[in-house]
Parts: sequence; C-alpha cells; structure tokens
Amino acid sequence: MSSNINKLTLAQKVRKHKQLIPFVIPAILFALIFCYLPMTGIVIAFKDNPNFLRYDVFEALAKSDWTLAHFEMIFNDPEISRVVGNTLIISIMKIVILFPLPVVLAVMITELRSRKFSKLVQGLVFLPHFFSWVVIVGIFNSLFGLYGPVNNIIEMLGGDPTHFMGEPAWFRWLVVILSGWKEIGYSSIVYIAAIMSINPALYEATRLDGASKLRQVWSITIPSIMPTIIVMLIIRIGYLMDAGFEQVYAMLNANTMETGDIIGTFVYRKAMGAESNYGLSTAVGLLNGLISMGLILGANYFSKKKTGSGVW
Amino acid sequence: MKKLLSLILAATMLLGLVACGSTETPSDGINYDIDLSNKPQLEILMPNSGKSIEEVNSNSNAQLIETLTGYKTNYTQLPADAANTLSTIFMDKKPYHAMKLTKDQFSDLVNDDLLVDITDALSVFAPDILANISDESWDVVTVDGRIYGIPERASSDNIENPIILNYDLMLKLKLDIPETLDEFTAVLRAMTKELGRPALTFDKFTPLVYSISAAFGIYSTWQEYTVDGKTQVLFYMNAPGYKDYVEYMNMLYTEGLIDKEVSTNDAASANNRFVNGFKADSQGAKAGAYAASLWSVPAIVTALEANGIVNATEAKGELGDYLAYVRSLKKNASDDEHVYRSSGYTYITAIPFYMAENAGYALDWMNAKIKDTETEDNFRQMVLGTEGVHWTYKAGEGYFPIDANFAEKDDASYYMTGSNENKYTQYWLARVRKQPELFRAWSILMEDADTVGVHNVVDFTPPIEDYNLNRASVEEFAQNSFYQLMKDGTGNLSSLINDLNNLKGGQKATDAINNWYNSAK
Repeated sequence: MSSNINKLTLAQKVRKHKQLIPFVIPAILFALIFCYLPMTGIVIAFKDNPNFLRYDVFEALAKSDWTLAHFEMIFNDPEISRVVGNTLIISIMKIVILFPLPVVLAVMITELRSRKFSKLVQGLVFLPHFFSWVVIVGIFNSLFGLYGPVNNIIEMLGGDPTHFMGEPAWFRWLVVILSGWKEIGYSSIVYIAAIMSINPALYEATRLDGASKLRQVWSITIPSIMPTIIVMLIIRIGYLMDAGFEQVYAMLNANTMETGDIIGTFVYRKAMGAESNYGLSTAVGLLNGLISMGLILGANYFSKKKTGSGVW
Repeated sequence: MKKLLSLILAATMLLGLVACGSTETPSDGINYDIDLSNKPQLEILMPNSGKSIEEVNSNSNAQLIETLTGYKTNYTQLPADAANTLSTIFMDKKPYHAMKLTKDQFSDLVNDDLLVDITDALSVFAPDILANISDESWDVVTVDGRIYGIPERASSDNIENPIILNYDLMLKLKLDIPETLDEFTAVLRAMTKELGRPALTFDKFTPLVYSISAAFGIYSTWQEYTVDGKTQVLFYMNAPGYKDYVEYMNMLYTEGLIDKEVSTNDAASANNRFVNGFKADSQGAKAGAYAASLWSVPAIVTALEANGIVNATEAKGELGDYLAYVRSLKKNASDDEHVYRSSGYTYITAIPFYMAENAGYALDWMNAKIKDTETEDNFRQMVLGTEGVHWTYKAGEGYFPIDANFAEKDDASYYMTGSNENKYTQYWLARVRKQPELFRAWSILMEDADTVGVHNVVDFTPPIEDYNLNRASVEEFAQNSFYQLMKDGTGNLSSLINDLNNLKGGQKATDAINNWYNSAK
C-alpha cells in the first residue's frame, strides 16, 4: 500500500476505486450473512434455558429470563479452568514444536535437485492432510495399541508396553505428533510458493561470493520469506484457543480427559450432547472468541511494531 | 449496551405477543371430530434400527401392521446419535403423527412442553390401550395428572448383566465358577497367567460392572441406601460401598487382571477380545472373562462359530462346555445374593404438540396394534406371527418358535408402540427360546429372580425436571471418574464426589428423585 492512499479520506478512496466495489460486495454479503448475523445468537449466553423447540426463536428468547448464571458457572467450575489450561498447553506445544517444521520442510523440498523426486515428496507429505481425523486416529490407535507395533518394539528392547492412548501423560504429545504427521506437508505449500518467487539472481550473486548452501538458506531464503512466516504466525496465534477440535474429539477417552479435554470438546459435549446446554456453550464460545480477538490484535500490533509487516 | 439489550428484548417480546396472542387455547388441541374410516397415511418416527430405512419400511412386520390396522405407514428413523436430530425435528416441525422415544428422550420433551396431552383422547380413541396397560405403567408417562405418551413395558424384567466366562479355559485349568470376590480374583489370576493377557475385559461404557458392584451393595445406578440412620435414594457414586468397589477394581487393574484398554474399548472390540481368548494361538488382545450384556450372547455364539471354535451344529445348541455366566458375586459365601434386575420402559410413544390436530389417527392406529382378543389377535400376530407358521403352543409350557419361519419375527418388537402387558411376557419367551444358548444363559440368570433381583428406582420415575436436566452430566462425570479411579486409585475420590454433587448437578438430581420417591411411597 502506498502512503499516498493512506492520506485520502474514506469517501475519496471509495470514489477513486469505485470500479472495485462490485467485486467486494459478495465478500461483504458473505461475512454479513455467515459471520455477523449469527453473532446475534450470542444473546443465548445471557438467557435462562430458552425453549427453542416449542416456540420460534424470538418468542423463546422473549419468554426466558436474563441470567449471568452461565458466566458464574464458567468462573466457578474447575473443569472449565482445566479445559482452558489444556487448550493453551496443547496449542502452545503445537505452535512451538510444529510451526517451524513446514518452513524447514519447504526449504528441503525446494533444494531438491531432481524435480521428479521433489514432486513425489510433495505429493507424499501432502497426502495425510486429506484423510479425516477419525481415520488417522484409528490408524494410530492400532499402531500405538497395547499389542501394536510400537509396543512390540518397546517390548523387544526390554521395556514395558504402555497404553499410550489411555495415558494422560502421553496424550498431549500424541496430539502434537499426530497433528504434525498430518499437517506439516500441507502447511508447507505457502512457504514453497514463497521460496519459488525469490529472485534467482540473489542466489547467483551469493554463489559468486562463495556462500555455502546453508549460508544461502540463512541469508537469502529465510529473510525473503520472513513476511510470509510472520503472517502465518499471526494467523496461527489467532487460533491459539482452538487446539484442534476434531482431532482431540476423536482421540479423547475417560482416562485422558484430565490432560486432553479442550474448549472445543467441552463446548461440543455441553451443547450437542444429551445435556443440550446451549447457554453455557455459547458463553464459553463467546469468551473464547473475545480472547482470540485480543490475541490476534496483540500479535498484529506487536509484529507491525517490530518488523513493520502485519495482516492489516 | 444495556439500552440496546432492552430494546432487543422489547422488540422480541412484542413479536412474541403478536405470534401467540390469539392462537392459544386451553384444550389439548386434539380434533375429536375426525372420520376414522378415512385413514390418512401415517408418518412415524422410529428409533435407530441399525438397518436402512428402506428395509425398515419393507419389513414383513411393517407390512403386517398395515394389514392389521388398515393404516398405510411411512417410517423414518433417528440416527444412532439422536440427541441433536430430535431438536432439529421440533425446530422444523416435521409432521410425524407419532414418535417412538426412549424414556430419557420422552422426559426431556415433556419437560420442554413439546408433547400432546392425550389424557382425554385415550378413552375416545384407544380403549384397548387403556385396558391393557397397567396403572403402574401410566404413572411413568404422567405429569401433574396428565398423560403424555403410551408406555411400552419392558418385555420381561431380566437379570441381564452377567460376567461371561470362557468355560473351555476354566475346564482346562480346573477352575470352578466363582461365587465370591476372592474366588473370582483367583479365577482371573489363573486365566491371566494362562492367556498371557489381562483376563477381564469390558467396554468404555461400563462404569458399574453390576455383577461385581453387587458384592459391595451397589445393585443399580439409583437405589435406596441407609447411611447414618438416614434412608434415601442415592446415585451409585454416592453409595456407601462405592469406595470399596473402586478399590477392588483398582486392585484388579494394578495387578494386571483387567484389560488396560477398557477405557477405549467399544463393545465390538471387547467382544473380539473375549472370542480371541478361545484361540490358543492368537497373538493380539484377548480375554477370558467379559462383563457384558446377556444380549451379546448371540453375537458371541456367531463369532465362536465363525472362528471355527464350535461347529454349525454346536452353535445351534447349548454351549455349556464353552460359556459360563456369573450374574453376581458376593463378599462372603454366606451373604445373601442380590443383583440388578432391569425393568421399566424401553420405549414411550408420543405425539408432537404441533400434530395434536391429527392425534386421533395415531391413537386409533396404536389401539389397533395392541388389541388381542379371541377374535382379533392383532398383538399376538405382531409379536409371534401365525400359529403353525411361526409358533406352536404347548399346554403348560407356553409358546415355542418354529425355527424355519420365526426369523421373520426377529424385528417384531421394533414395531411395537406400547405393549399389551397382559400378554407380552408369555409371547416374549418364545423369542428367547429361539437361540438355545441364549435361553440357557437367560434361565441361569433368572433363577429365583424375584428374590435376587433389585430394581433401579429411576426405571419407574415419571419425568422429573431437575433429574432430567442433570442426568446427562451426572452420568458422564461418573463414567469418566470411574475409569480414572480404577486406574489411579481412590486418592481423590472425595473431591470427585464433591464435584459430582455440587458442580455436575448430582445434589439437585438426588433431591429431585427423593422428593418424588417420598411422595410416591
């Protein structure tokens, strides 16, 4: 964005780019209908058990009393603080351990000399992304099962077999491992694209100066894709409060609740389970959303200040 | 913000007033002035059958009911995980004339005021239903003196949660069928040693192994206990014997006698493990004792046959050399034996509020199905079929299935909407007799059932609001807690019980049930 545009007033900007407006309308409509309109449902968080099944939405809301009970529950129930804690721990583990890996993978793939081999590797590492979590968890259940190959090897080496999927201490690590196995390849696409667009002249220049491959990666590739990395990181931080609902839901069991139950699974259980406690679910979701928004704003502000680039 | 909220509130209240102002009528909304000879096609919502809806609709039992009642019917079934779908159905007001619901679903819908009050309509449209269902059963569907559904009394009050034992293995190891906890522990130890795997398995939905908890005085999920001179109905996690029960299970678990994967086992994998225990050379998970439901016996027999452990002829007979059943264990051999006896109401059929206008047709249809007289044996035809084709009658013994054709009646109970309580138990026996091993198991478990069996208090409750609202969270919490306690020991049992009662609604549910219990006594 040139600084020149920033000086114009909104009305001037609109006039200047009026031919672009039709292109934006569908996006705005989409956001209004699917993002903003449903937000009115937040009102459920402040309502005492409205009877949506008997009456239509407005009537049901009108008939039920205002309450803050759901929020009181959130701050009183130790289960909820546990759930928030688990979400943060799993999410941070995922970011710290998994976020750098696609960058590394992208560099490795782009450095491959044989184009054919490079395409093959890309195809293979993308593949797991297209399996559903239920399938992947099923596969890992057998692999890590008491009588599966992992435990067979442990036994062969003289160790005691462990029921990994039922062990609270292992649960978060398994979540990270499975998530990495499934998503690293797919996440590297963005970085591969970014690396491809680096001007080859830069590499030639350093080669003439006698820089090693590693040096080239460190001094050219990484700095060139840094803006992409930062944007991806900001987006990722926005999802900090979402530790991967589908995955955890498929993996969770009674023994791993303690370390594995996250906000997503908790909200789902409350609202969609036999309890149908929409109020509590909405309240938790609302707080979750507010915190996520704060995180994104913070991350963007910080990034703009430190590196000069951000999402907006 | 406050201003905005009150504005929205005011607007919605106005809308609400406009919407309901004139249509509200004090009556039940049923049209009594209908022509029953002009029968419309009925849309019926059914529980999940595990079969495709085409099969449900083309099933011979469905056809028979059309012939018997004169009503064309179109069945729709709920998915296995029904909670959400039922809500959607009411939001969309899908035009079902009747819905066959579980007791829990029924209670939730009544609490939300979603079902038609059929008290007055019953005597007009359904005299046979009134005559063949007991007062005790009507109590279950009655709220504030008004009736909201047709109860379907369970076929028979069964003792049906045994530990199934690999008797083949026990014969080999010269083990007797255990009666006490100590004997049971010894059996598990011997089996575990022989199998090289923990001997006892069950699935992830079994927080109360009834045959074991019975030794600690816990027979069902809700029953009467006397603690410190005070008698009241308590949830099992609050029962005085719960700590001892969990300690015993923890002991078995730490000693390596319980399958380490129970918390992730579904019923199919537990079944598999038990059947694998019969195969000497199987390398994977296996077990020798299986805390299961009586109704998994047919599946076990099929699997034994499929794995070549018994041959086809043996599978059609009794399998006394392969399977043994323990219905309950005792602390000391001299103790009285007691164990949970299931009972109550498998299903309740009700009419959604927005279909009140047409309730007469649905009631007339259900009335025809329950009729069972000398001249019109509709109910018998539905359950058993035709004499000489599906069944024979032996004086003094009862109804016996004719093997070649009785398979047609396998699904008969699925299509019932309310059972003829005067007749059903005797018909139903023919169905158990169909598989000799199942009948043998049932007979072993049912010996002296009247003295041994203990009922669950909530099997007989009408919808109780505070119980229903907290039921799911209480049960879920107790189930998760059990698997943790079994694994880690009873260290934080008291804090879990505290959470159950104060945070998960345990106390509210307990109070609500006791209120009802004391008033019903």
